[in-house]
Amino acid sequence: MRIGLPVRIMAAAVLLALGLVGLVVREGVARAHGQEVLLPIEAYDPRSLLSGHYLQFQFRETLAADAACPPGTETPPPFRRGWVALAPAGARYRVAGMAERREAARRLGPLVVRGLATCADTGTPLGGRGKAVELNLGFNRFHADQAHAEAMSKALIQAPAGGALAAISVGRDGKARLKGVVIGGTRTDLDWF
Amino acid sequence: MAGYRSRLEKDLDGWIARGLVPAVSREPILADVGEARRLDAATTLAILGALLAGVAVIAFVAANWSAIPRVVRFGLILAAFLGASGGAAWASGREKPVTTHVLLAVAALVFGAAIGLTGQIFDIAGDARTALRGAGLAAALLALAGRSPWPAAVALLFIGLGDVTGGGWFLGETRWPGWLVWAAPAGALLAWRWRSTALAHAAGLASIVAGFSLSAMHPHRPEGLFMAMAAVLAVLALGARSRRETAEAQASALYGWWAWGALIWFGAAGFGEAFRGVPHSVAWMAVSAAVVVLGRTDRHAAVTAAGIVALFAAGARLLFNLGVGLMTSAAVFGACAVAALVVAFVLKRARTA
Repeated sequence: MRIGLPVRIMAAAVLLALGLVGLVVREGVARAHGQEVLLPIEAYDPRSLLSGHYLQFQFRETLAADAACPPGTETPPPFRRGWVALAPAGARYRVAGMAERREAARRLGPLVVRGLATCADTGTPLGGRGKAVELNLGFNRFHADQAHAEAMSKALIQAPAGGALAAISVGRDGKARLKGVVIGGTRTDLDWF
Repeated sequence: MAGYRSRLEKDLDGWIARGLVPAVSREPILADVGEARRLDAATTLAILGALLAGVAVIAFVAANWSAIPRVVRFGLILAAFLGASGGAAWASGREKPVTTHVLLAVAALVFGAAIGLTGQIFDIAGDARTALRGAGLAAALLALAGRSPWPAAVALLFIGLGDVTGGGWFLGETRWPGWLVWAAPAGALLAWRWRSTALAHAAGLASIVAGFSLSAMHPHRPEGLFMAMAAVLAVLALGARSRRETAEAQASALYGWWAWGALIWFGAAGFGEAFRGVPHSVAWMAVSAAVVVLGRTDRHAAVTAAGIVALFAAGARLLFNLGVGLMTSAAVFGACAVAALVVAFVLKRARTA
Protein backbone atom coordinates (compact mmCIF):
# COMPACT_ATOMS: atom_id res chain seq x y z
CA MET A 1 0.00 0.00 0.00
CA ARG A 2 1.40 3.36 -0.99
CA ILE A 3 1.05 6.05 1.68
CA GLY A 4 -0.11 9.40 0.31
CA LEU A 5 1.99 12.54 0.52
CA PRO A 6 -0.31 14.41 2.98
CA VAL A 7 -0.23 11.48 5.43
CA ARG A 8 3.55 11.22 5.17
CA ILE A 9 4.02 14.95 5.78
CA MET A 10 1.72 14.96 8.82
CA ALA A 11 3.33 11.79 10.21
CA ALA A 12 6.78 13.40 9.98
CA ALA A 13 5.52 16.65 11.53
CA VAL A 14 3.80 14.86 14.44
CA LEU A 15 6.93 12.75 15.00
CA LEU A 16 9.08 15.89 15.20
CA ALA A 17 6.62 17.70 17.48
CA LEU A 18 6.51 14.66 19.79
CA GLY A 19 10.31 14.60 19.78
CA LEU A 20 10.39 18.21 20.97
CA VAL A 21 7.75 17.53 23.65
CA GLY A 22 9.72 14.44 24.71
CA LEU A 23 12.87 16.52 25.05
CA VAL A 24 11.12 19.05 27.29
CA VAL A 25 9.53 16.32 29.46
CA ARG A 26 12.80 14.37 29.73
CA GLU A 27 14.73 17.50 30.77
CA GLY A 28 11.99 18.42 33.27
CA VAL A 29 12.07 14.96 34.84
CA ALA A 30 15.88 14.92 34.95
CA ARG A 31 15.89 18.39 36.54
CA ALA A 32 13.36 17.34 39.18
CA HIS A 33 15.11 14.06 40.05
CA GLY A 34 18.73 15.22 40.02
CA GLN A 35 20.76 16.08 43.10
CA GLU A 36 20.38 19.76 43.94
CA VAL A 37 23.47 21.76 44.83
CA LEU A 38 24.05 25.47 45.39
CA LEU A 39 27.02 27.09 43.65
CA PRO A 40 28.25 30.69 44.02
CA ILE A 41 27.61 33.03 41.10
CA GLU A 42 28.66 36.57 40.23
CA ALA A 43 27.45 39.16 37.73
CA TYR A 44 28.83 38.41 34.29
CA ASP A 45 29.97 41.90 33.38
CA PRO A 46 28.26 44.97 34.85
CA ARG A 47 29.46 47.07 31.88
CA SER A 48 27.72 44.85 29.37
CA LEU A 49 25.58 46.93 27.03
CA LEU A 50 23.47 43.96 26.06
CA SER A 51 20.64 42.99 28.32
CA GLY A 52 17.23 41.51 27.82
CA HIS A 53 14.74 39.19 29.37
CA TYR A 54 17.42 37.17 31.10
CA LEU A 55 19.84 37.38 33.99
CA GLN A 56 23.39 36.71 32.90
CA PHE A 57 25.79 35.30 35.50
CA GLN A 58 28.98 33.32 35.84
CA PHE A 59 29.89 30.51 38.21
CA ARG A 60 32.83 32.09 40.00
CA GLU A 61 34.27 31.71 43.46
CA THR A 62 37.10 33.84 44.82
CA LEU A 63 39.55 31.78 46.85
CA ALA A 64 41.34 32.83 50.02
CA ALA A 65 44.67 34.60 49.38
CA ASP A 66 46.76 31.62 50.52
CA ALA A 67 44.50 28.92 49.06
CA ALA A 68 45.78 26.65 46.31
CA CYS A 69 43.92 26.07 43.07
CA PRO A 70 41.88 22.82 42.96
CA PRO A 71 43.81 20.03 41.18
CA GLY A 72 43.48 20.00 37.41
CA THR A 73 42.30 23.62 37.16
CA GLU A 74 45.61 25.51 37.23
CA THR A 75 46.28 25.46 33.50
CA PRO A 76 43.87 25.62 30.55
CA PRO A 77 42.80 22.00 29.96
CA PRO A 78 43.90 20.19 26.79
CA PHE A 79 40.32 18.87 26.34
CA ARG A 80 37.10 20.66 25.55
CA ARG A 81 34.77 18.62 27.75
CA GLY A 82 35.79 17.36 31.15
CA TRP A 83 34.38 16.35 34.51
CA VAL A 84 34.37 18.72 37.47
CA ALA A 85 34.36 17.35 41.01
CA LEU A 86 32.24 19.24 43.55
CA ALA A 87 32.56 18.96 47.32
CA PRO A 88 30.21 20.32 50.01
CA ALA A 89 31.34 23.42 51.88
CA GLY A 90 28.60 24.22 54.38
CA ALA A 91 25.25 24.66 52.69
CA ARG A 92 26.79 25.10 49.28
CA TYR A 93 29.27 23.28 47.08
CA ARG A 94 32.69 24.29 45.77
CA VAL A 95 34.93 23.07 42.95
CA ALA A 96 37.24 20.32 44.27
CA GLY A 97 39.08 19.54 41.04
CA MET A 98 38.76 18.61 37.40
CA ALA A 99 39.75 15.63 35.26
CA GLU A 100 39.17 14.45 31.71
CA ARG A 101 37.46 11.23 32.82
CA ARG A 102 34.56 10.75 35.19
CA GLU A 103 36.29 8.10 37.32
CA ALA A 104 39.33 10.33 37.81
CA ALA A 105 37.13 13.29 38.81
CA ARG A 106 35.21 11.09 41.27
CA ARG A 107 38.43 10.59 43.23
CA LEU A 108 38.61 14.38 43.76
CA GLY A 109 35.12 14.99 45.12
CA PRO A 110 31.90 13.14 45.94
CA LEU A 111 29.79 14.71 43.17
CA VAL A 112 30.92 15.00 39.56
CA VAL A 113 29.39 17.11 36.80
CA ARG A 114 30.22 17.64 33.13
CA GLY A 115 31.97 20.95 32.51
CA LEU A 116 35.23 22.84 32.72
CA ALA A 117 36.83 24.67 35.63
CA THR A 118 39.75 27.07 35.49
CA CYS A 119 41.63 28.74 38.28
CA ALA A 120 43.43 32.03 37.64
CA ASP A 121 45.11 34.90 39.42
CA THR A 122 42.84 37.87 40.02
CA GLY A 123 45.68 40.25 40.90
CA THR A 124 46.03 43.53 38.99
CA PRO A 125 49.17 45.54 38.10
CA LEU A 126 48.09 48.07 40.75
CA GLY A 127 48.24 45.48 43.49
CA GLY A 128 46.06 42.95 45.21
CA ARG A 129 46.52 39.23 44.91
CA GLY A 130 44.12 36.36 44.88
CA LYS A 131 42.74 33.49 42.90
CA ALA A 132 39.32 32.67 41.56
CA VAL A 133 37.81 29.48 40.17
CA GLU A 134 35.49 29.84 37.20
CA LEU A 135 33.15 27.04 36.24
CA ASN A 136 31.61 26.48 32.81
CA LEU A 137 28.58 24.20 32.94
CA GLY A 138 27.21 25.14 29.52
CA PHE A 139 24.71 27.77 30.66
CA ASN A 140 24.98 31.26 32.11
CA ARG A 141 21.50 32.72 31.76
CA PHE A 142 18.27 32.63 33.72
CA HIS A 143 15.34 33.67 31.55
CA ALA A 144 12.59 35.78 33.09
CA ASP A 145 10.36 38.65 32.02
CA GLN A 146 12.36 41.80 31.35
CA ALA A 147 11.44 43.80 34.48
CA HIS A 148 12.18 40.82 36.73
CA ALA A 149 15.44 40.03 34.91
CA GLU A 150 16.63 43.64 35.21
CA ALA A 151 15.79 43.74 38.93
CA MET A 152 17.70 40.48 39.49
CA SER A 153 20.68 41.77 37.46
CA LYS A 154 20.85 44.90 39.63
CA ALA A 155 20.61 42.83 42.82
CA LEU A 156 23.31 40.44 41.55
CA ILE A 157 25.72 43.31 40.82
CA GLN A 158 25.15 44.74 44.31
CA ALA A 159 25.32 41.37 46.10
CA PRO A 160 28.38 40.85 48.34
CA ALA A 161 30.87 38.06 47.50
CA GLY A 162 29.12 34.75 48.07
CA GLY A 163 25.75 36.47 48.40
CA ALA A 164 24.36 35.00 45.19
CA LEU A 165 23.91 31.33 44.39
CA ALA A 166 22.58 29.21 41.56
CA ALA A 167 20.58 26.10 42.37
CA ILE A 168 21.55 23.40 39.91
CA SER A 169 20.40 19.85 39.53
CA VAL A 170 23.04 17.23 38.72
CA GLY A 171 21.46 14.28 36.94
CA ARG A 172 22.64 10.68 36.77
CA ASP A 173 24.09 11.49 33.35
CA GLY A 174 26.37 14.04 35.03
CA LYS A 175 24.69 16.94 33.26
CA ALA A 176 23.98 20.09 35.23
CA ARG A 177 20.59 21.73 34.80
CA LEU A 178 19.62 25.12 36.17
CA LYS A 179 16.78 25.04 38.73
CA GLY A 180 16.84 28.58 40.07
CA VAL A 181 18.87 31.41 41.53
CA VAL A 182 19.17 32.79 45.07
CA ILE A 183 20.05 36.48 45.16
CA GLY A 184 20.02 38.50 48.37
CA GLY A 185 18.27 35.65 50.18
CA THR A 186 15.40 35.52 47.67
CA ARG A 187 15.08 32.33 45.66
CA THR A 188 13.53 32.32 42.16
CA ASP A 189 12.85 28.90 40.66
CA LEU A 190 12.18 27.89 37.09
CA ASP A 191 8.69 26.50 36.62
CA TRP A 192 6.33 25.57 33.82
CA PHE A 193 4.54 28.91 34.03
CA MET B 1 5.03 34.13 -20.01
CA ALA B 2 3.66 37.51 -21.10
CA GLY B 3 7.06 38.46 -22.58
CA TYR B 4 7.28 35.19 -24.48
CA ARG B 5 3.71 35.59 -25.78
CA SER B 6 4.31 39.10 -27.11
CA ARG B 7 7.57 37.95 -28.77
CA LEU B 8 5.73 34.99 -30.28
CA GLU B 9 2.94 37.24 -31.61
CA LYS B 10 5.54 39.43 -33.34
CA ASP B 11 7.41 36.40 -34.72
CA LEU B 12 4.18 34.79 -35.94
CA ASP B 13 3.21 37.94 -37.84
CA GLY B 14 6.63 37.94 -39.51
CA TRP B 15 6.45 34.20 -40.38
CA ILE B 16 2.93 34.59 -41.80
CA ALA B 17 4.07 37.58 -43.91
CA ARG B 18 6.94 35.45 -45.31
CA GLY B 19 4.64 32.49 -45.90
CA LEU B 20 6.39 30.21 -43.39
CA VAL B 21 3.26 29.69 -41.28
CA PRO B 22 -0.35 29.65 -42.54
CA ALA B 23 -2.41 32.55 -41.16
CA VAL B 24 -5.06 30.15 -39.85
CA SER B 25 -2.51 28.64 -37.47
CA ARG B 26 -1.93 31.95 -35.67
CA GLU B 27 -4.78 31.75 -33.17
CA PRO B 28 -4.40 28.00 -32.32
CA ILE B 29 -0.67 28.52 -31.66
CA LEU B 30 -1.32 31.53 -29.40
CA ALA B 31 -4.12 29.68 -27.63
CA ASP B 32 -1.71 26.81 -26.97
CA VAL B 33 0.72 29.18 -25.25
CA GLY B 34 -2.03 30.60 -23.03
CA GLU B 35 -2.27 33.84 -21.12
CA ALA B 36 -0.02 34.62 -18.20
CA ARG B 37 -1.82 34.43 -14.89
CA ARG B 38 -2.31 37.91 -13.51
CA LEU B 39 -3.47 38.94 -10.08
CA ASP B 40 -6.35 41.39 -10.00
CA ALA B 41 -6.44 44.32 -7.57
CA ALA B 42 -8.81 42.58 -5.14
CA THR B 43 -6.62 39.46 -4.91
CA THR B 44 -3.46 41.58 -4.49
CA LEU B 45 -5.10 43.59 -1.67
CA ALA B 46 -6.32 40.38 -0.03
CA ILE B 47 -2.78 38.93 -0.08
CA LEU B 48 -1.34 42.18 1.32
CA GLY B 49 -4.03 42.23 4.02
CA ALA B 50 -3.26 38.64 5.01
CA LEU B 51 0.47 39.40 5.19
CA LEU B 52 -0.11 42.52 7.31
CA ALA B 53 -2.44 40.57 9.62
CA GLY B 54 0.34 37.98 10.05
CA VAL B 55 2.87 40.69 10.87
CA ALA B 56 0.43 42.25 13.37
CA VAL B 57 -0.07 38.88 15.12
CA ILE B 58 3.70 38.27 15.27
CA ALA B 59 4.31 41.78 16.68
CA PHE B 60 1.53 41.34 19.26
CA VAL B 61 2.90 37.97 20.41
CA ALA B 62 6.48 39.36 20.50
CA ALA B 63 5.39 42.36 22.58
CA ASN B 64 3.76 40.08 25.16
CA TRP B 65 6.16 37.14 24.83
CA SER B 66 7.67 37.28 28.31
CA ALA B 67 4.22 37.76 29.88
CA ILE B 68 2.90 34.59 28.25
CA PRO B 69 3.23 31.47 30.46
CA ARG B 70 6.06 29.15 29.39
CA VAL B 71 3.80 26.24 28.53
CA VAL B 72 1.60 28.49 26.37
CA ARG B 73 4.68 29.86 24.57
CA PHE B 74 5.80 26.31 23.86
CA GLY B 75 2.27 25.52 22.63
CA LEU B 76 2.36 28.54 20.30
CA ILE B 77 5.63 27.37 18.76
CA LEU B 78 4.32 23.83 18.25
CA ALA B 79 1.10 25.24 16.78
CA ALA B 80 3.08 27.37 14.31
CA PHE B 81 5.11 24.32 13.25
CA LEU B 82 2.13 21.99 12.98
CA GLY B 83 0.15 24.72 11.20
CA ALA B 84 2.80 25.13 8.50
CA SER B 85 3.15 21.34 8.16
CA GLY B 86 -0.62 20.87 8.06
CA GLY B 87 -0.87 23.55 5.38
CA ALA B 88 1.79 21.74 3.36
CA ALA B 89 -0.09 18.43 3.73
CA TRP B 90 -3.32 20.12 2.61
CA ALA B 91 -1.60 21.74 -0.39
CA SER B 92 0.04 18.45 -1.42
CA GLY B 93 -3.38 16.76 -1.33
CA ARG B 94 -4.69 19.38 -3.77
CA GLU B 95 -1.62 19.05 -5.97
CA LYS B 96 -0.27 22.54 -5.36
CA PRO B 97 3.46 21.76 -5.45
CA VAL B 98 4.80 25.31 -5.02
CA THR B 99 2.60 25.95 -1.96
CA THR B 100 3.66 22.57 -0.54
CA HIS B 101 7.35 23.35 -1.00
CA VAL B 102 7.02 26.84 0.50
CA LEU B 103 5.05 25.68 3.54
CA LEU B 104 7.37 22.73 4.17
CA ALA B 105 10.39 25.04 4.00
CA VAL B 106 8.63 27.39 6.45
CA ALA B 107 7.87 24.41 8.73
CA ALA B 108 11.54 23.36 8.60
CA LEU B 109 12.67 26.90 9.52
CA VAL B 110 10.05 27.16 12.29
CA PHE B 111 11.22 23.82 13.72
CA GLY B 112 14.82 25.07 13.73
CA ALA B 113 13.68 28.18 15.61
CA ALA B 114 11.54 26.00 17.89
CA ILE B 115 14.58 24.05 19.07
CA GLY B 116 16.33 27.28 20.10
CA LEU B 117 13.22 28.85 21.62
CA THR B 118 12.36 25.71 23.57
CA GLY B 119 15.84 25.78 25.09
CA GLN B 120 15.31 29.41 26.00
CA ILE B 121 11.77 28.99 27.36
CA PHE B 122 12.65 26.10 29.68
CA ASP B 123 16.31 27.07 30.29
CA ILE B 124 17.54 23.82 28.76
CA ALA B 125 21.29 23.99 28.28
CA GLY B 126 22.55 22.52 25.06
CA ASP B 127 25.21 22.54 22.43
CA ALA B 128 24.51 24.97 19.57
CA ARG B 129 26.07 22.57 17.06
CA THR B 130 23.81 19.71 18.16
CA ALA B 131 20.77 21.99 17.97
CA LEU B 132 21.61 23.13 14.42
CA ARG B 133 22.31 19.60 13.23
CA GLY B 134 19.07 18.45 14.86
CA ALA B 135 17.23 21.18 12.95
CA GLY B 136 18.98 20.01 9.76
CA LEU B 137 17.92 16.40 10.27
CA ALA B 138 14.36 17.52 11.00
CA ALA B 139 14.31 19.54 7.77
CA ALA B 140 15.68 16.52 5.89
CA LEU B 141 12.91 14.33 7.33
CA LEU B 142 10.27 16.84 6.19
CA ALA B 143 11.90 16.98 2.74
CA LEU B 144 11.88 13.21 2.35
CA ALA B 145 8.34 12.90 3.68
CA GLY B 146 7.02 15.50 1.25
CA ARG B 147 9.44 14.77 -1.61
CA SER B 148 10.17 18.48 -1.43
CA PRO B 149 13.48 20.08 -2.45
CA TRP B 150 13.08 23.38 -0.58
CA PRO B 151 13.21 21.96 2.97
CA ALA B 152 16.13 19.85 1.72
CA ALA B 153 17.95 23.12 0.92
CA VAL B 154 17.03 24.35 4.43
CA ALA B 155 18.51 21.11 5.81
CA LEU B 156 21.79 21.81 4.01
CA LEU B 157 21.79 25.34 5.46
CA PHE B 158 21.28 24.13 9.05
CA ILE B 159 23.83 21.32 8.69
CA GLY B 160 26.37 23.76 7.22
CA LEU B 161 25.79 26.21 10.08
CA GLY B 162 26.19 23.31 12.51
CA ASP B 163 29.53 22.43 10.92
CA VAL B 164 30.95 25.92 11.40
CA THR B 165 29.43 26.56 14.85
CA GLY B 166 31.43 25.95 18.02
CA GLY B 167 33.78 23.51 16.40
CA GLY B 168 37.01 24.95 17.77
CA TRP B 169 38.22 25.54 14.22
CA PHE B 170 41.39 27.31 15.23
CA LEU B 171 42.48 25.03 18.06
CA GLY B 172 44.40 22.78 15.67
CA GLU B 173 42.67 19.62 16.93
CA THR B 174 42.21 16.61 14.68
CA ARG B 175 38.50 15.96 14.22
CA TRP B 176 36.06 14.25 11.92
CA PRO B 177 34.95 16.33 8.95
CA GLY B 178 31.61 18.13 9.09
CA TRP B 179 28.29 16.60 8.12
CA LEU B 180 28.17 18.54 4.85
CA VAL B 181 30.70 16.05 3.46
CA TRP B 182 27.90 13.47 3.18
CA ALA B 183 24.91 15.84 3.20
CA ALA B 184 26.03 17.75 0.06
CA PRO B 185 26.27 14.63 -2.19
CA ALA B 186 22.96 13.40 -0.75
CA GLY B 187 21.44 16.78 -1.64
CA ALA B 188 22.84 16.55 -5.18
CA LEU B 189 21.37 13.05 -5.56
CA LEU B 190 17.95 14.26 -4.41
CA ALA B 191 18.18 17.28 -6.72
CA TRP B 192 18.79 14.85 -9.55
CA ARG B 193 15.94 12.53 -8.58
CA TRP B 194 13.44 15.32 -7.94
CA ARG B 195 14.62 17.40 -10.91
CA SER B 196 15.11 20.46 -8.68
CA THR B 197 17.43 23.21 -9.90
CA ALA B 198 17.14 25.12 -6.58
CA LEU B 199 18.34 22.10 -4.62
CA ALA B 200 21.08 21.49 -7.20
CA HIS B 201 22.40 25.01 -6.56
CA ALA B 202 22.23 24.52 -2.78
CA ALA B 203 23.97 21.12 -2.99
CA GLY B 204 26.63 22.49 -5.35
CA LEU B 205 27.46 25.36 -3.00
CA ALA B 206 27.40 22.99 -0.02
CA SER B 207 29.90 20.72 -1.82
CA ILE B 208 32.40 23.57 -1.93
CA VAL B 209 31.81 24.60 1.70
CA ALA B 210 32.22 20.96 2.80
CA GLY B 211 35.90 21.22 1.89
CA PHE B 212 36.56 23.60 4.79
CA SER B 213 35.70 20.95 7.35
CA LEU B 214 38.05 18.45 5.67
CA SER B 215 40.98 20.49 6.96
CA ALA B 216 39.97 19.43 10.49
CA MET B 217 41.04 15.85 9.71
CA HIS B 218 44.61 16.99 9.21
CA PRO B 219 44.75 20.58 10.52
CA HIS B 220 48.51 21.06 10.11
CA ARG B 221 48.88 19.59 6.60
CA PRO B 222 45.46 19.84 4.92
CA GLU B 223 46.76 20.36 1.36
CA GLY B 224 46.57 16.65 0.45
CA LEU B 225 42.90 16.59 1.45
CA PHE B 226 42.23 19.77 -0.54
CA MET B 227 43.87 18.25 -3.61
CA ALA B 228 41.77 15.09 -3.17
CA MET B 229 38.67 17.27 -2.81
CA ALA B 230 39.59 19.12 -6.02
CA ALA B 231 40.00 15.80 -7.84
CA VAL B 232 36.66 14.46 -6.58
CA LEU B 233 34.85 17.69 -7.54
CA ALA B 234 36.52 17.68 -10.97
CA VAL B 235 35.31 14.11 -11.59
CA LEU B 236 31.82 15.06 -10.39
CA ALA B 237 31.85 18.16 -12.62
CA LEU B 238 32.74 16.05 -15.66
CA GLY B 239 30.06 13.54 -14.66
CA ALA B 240 27.43 16.29 -14.43
CA ARG B 241 28.65 17.69 -17.75
CA SER B 242 28.06 14.36 -19.46
CA ARG B 243 24.55 14.12 -17.99
CA ARG B 244 23.30 17.46 -19.23
CA GLU B 245 21.12 15.84 -21.87
CA THR B 246 19.19 13.83 -19.27
CA ALA B 247 18.43 16.67 -16.84
CA GLU B 248 19.87 19.83 -18.29
CA ALA B 249 19.02 22.43 -15.65
CA GLN B 250 20.11 20.35 -12.63
CA ALA B 251 23.23 18.90 -14.27
CA SER B 252 24.19 22.33 -15.57
CA ALA B 253 23.89 23.90 -12.10
CA LEU B 254 25.95 21.14 -10.50
CA TYR B 255 28.52 21.27 -13.32
CA GLY B 256 29.05 24.98 -12.66
CA TRP B 257 29.38 24.74 -8.88
CA TRP B 258 31.61 21.66 -8.98
CA ALA B 259 33.90 23.33 -11.55
CA TRP B 260 34.22 26.32 -9.20
CA GLY B 261 34.87 23.97 -6.28
CA ALA B 262 37.53 21.95 -8.10
CA LEU B 263 39.46 25.11 -9.02
CA ILE B 264 39.09 26.68 -5.55
CA TRP B 265 40.38 23.59 -3.71
CA PHE B 266 43.12 23.01 -6.29
CA GLY B 267 44.29 26.58 -5.61
CA ALA B 268 43.93 26.22 -1.84
CA ALA B 269 46.16 23.13 -1.90
CA GLY B 270 48.98 25.34 -3.21
CA PHE B 271 49.15 27.21 0.09
CA GLY B 272 50.33 24.07 1.92
CA GLU B 273 53.94 22.95 2.19
CA ALA B 274 53.53 19.91 -0.08
CA PHE B 275 52.44 21.83 -3.19
CA ARG B 276 53.87 25.30 -2.55
CA GLY B 277 55.90 26.68 -5.45
CA VAL B 278 55.98 27.60 -9.13
CA PRO B 279 54.98 24.17 -10.53
CA HIS B 280 51.65 24.25 -8.67
CA SER B 281 50.91 27.80 -9.84
CA VAL B 282 51.71 26.88 -13.45
CA ALA B 283 49.53 23.75 -13.17
CA TRP B 284 46.73 25.86 -11.67
CA MET B 285 46.98 28.28 -14.60
CA ALA B 286 46.93 25.44 -17.10
CA VAL B 287 43.89 23.79 -15.49
CA SER B 288 42.13 27.19 -15.29
CA ALA B 289 42.81 27.84 -18.98
CA ALA B 290 41.43 24.38 -19.81
CA VAL B 291 38.29 25.17 -17.80
CA VAL B 292 37.85 28.47 -19.70
CA VAL B 293 38.03 26.53 -22.97
CA LEU B 294 35.58 23.94 -21.65
CA GLY B 295 33.18 26.66 -20.49
CA ARG B 296 33.28 28.39 -23.87
CA THR B 297 32.82 25.09 -25.72
CA ASP B 298 29.82 24.19 -23.54
CA ARG B 299 28.49 27.79 -23.58
CA HIS B 300 28.38 27.59 -19.79
CA ALA B 301 28.89 31.04 -18.27
CA ALA B 302 29.51 29.84 -14.69
CA VAL B 303 32.23 27.40 -15.79
CA THR B 304 33.87 30.05 -18.00
CA ALA B 305 33.76 32.54 -15.13
CA ALA B 306 35.31 29.98 -12.76
CA GLY B 307 38.16 29.45 -15.18
CA ILE B 308 38.78 33.17 -15.69
CA VAL B 309 38.74 34.00 -11.96
CA ALA B 310 41.02 31.05 -11.21
CA LEU B 311 43.32 32.14 -14.05
CA PHE B 312 43.74 35.58 -12.45
CA ALA B 313 44.27 34.03 -9.00
CA ALA B 314 46.80 31.55 -10.35
CA GLY B 315 48.63 34.36 -12.17
CA ALA B 316 48.82 36.42 -8.99
CA ARG B 317 50.00 33.37 -7.07
CA LEU B 318 52.65 32.68 -9.71
CA LEU B 319 53.96 36.24 -9.49
CA PHE B 320 54.13 35.90 -5.73
CA ASN B 321 56.02 32.61 -6.01
CA LEU B 322 58.48 34.12 -8.45
CA GLY B 323 59.20 36.93 -6.00
CA VAL B 324 57.98 39.39 -8.66
CA GLY B 325 61.24 38.94 -10.57
CA LEU B 326 60.28 40.63 -13.84
CA MET B 327 62.58 38.68 -16.17
CA THR B 328 61.54 35.34 -14.67
CA SER B 329 57.88 36.39 -14.78
CA ALA B 330 58.25 37.41 -18.43
CA ALA B 331 59.79 34.02 -19.27
CA VAL B 332 57.10 32.02 -17.45
CA PHE B 333 54.18 34.04 -18.84
CA GLY B 334 55.75 33.91 -22.29
CA ALA B 335 56.04 30.11 -22.08
CA CYS B 336 52.41 29.90 -20.92
CA ALA B 337 51.32 32.13 -23.82
CA VAL B 338 53.20 29.98 -26.35
CA ALA B 339 51.66 26.83 -24.87
CA ALA B 340 48.15 28.35 -25.10
CA LEU B 341 48.73 29.48 -28.71
CA VAL B 342 50.04 26.05 -29.73
CA VAL B 343 47.01 24.32 -28.16
CA ALA B 344 44.66 26.81 -29.88
CA PHE B 345 46.39 26.18 -33.22
CA VAL B 346 46.17 22.39 -32.81
CA LEU B 347 42.46 22.62 -31.90
CA LYS B 348 41.79 24.88 -34.90
CA ARG B 349 43.57 22.46 -37.23
CA ALA B 350 41.65 19.53 -35.80
CA ARG B 351 38.32 21.33 -36.36
CA THR B 352 39.07 22.30 -39.97
CA ALA B 353 40.44 18.83 -40.85
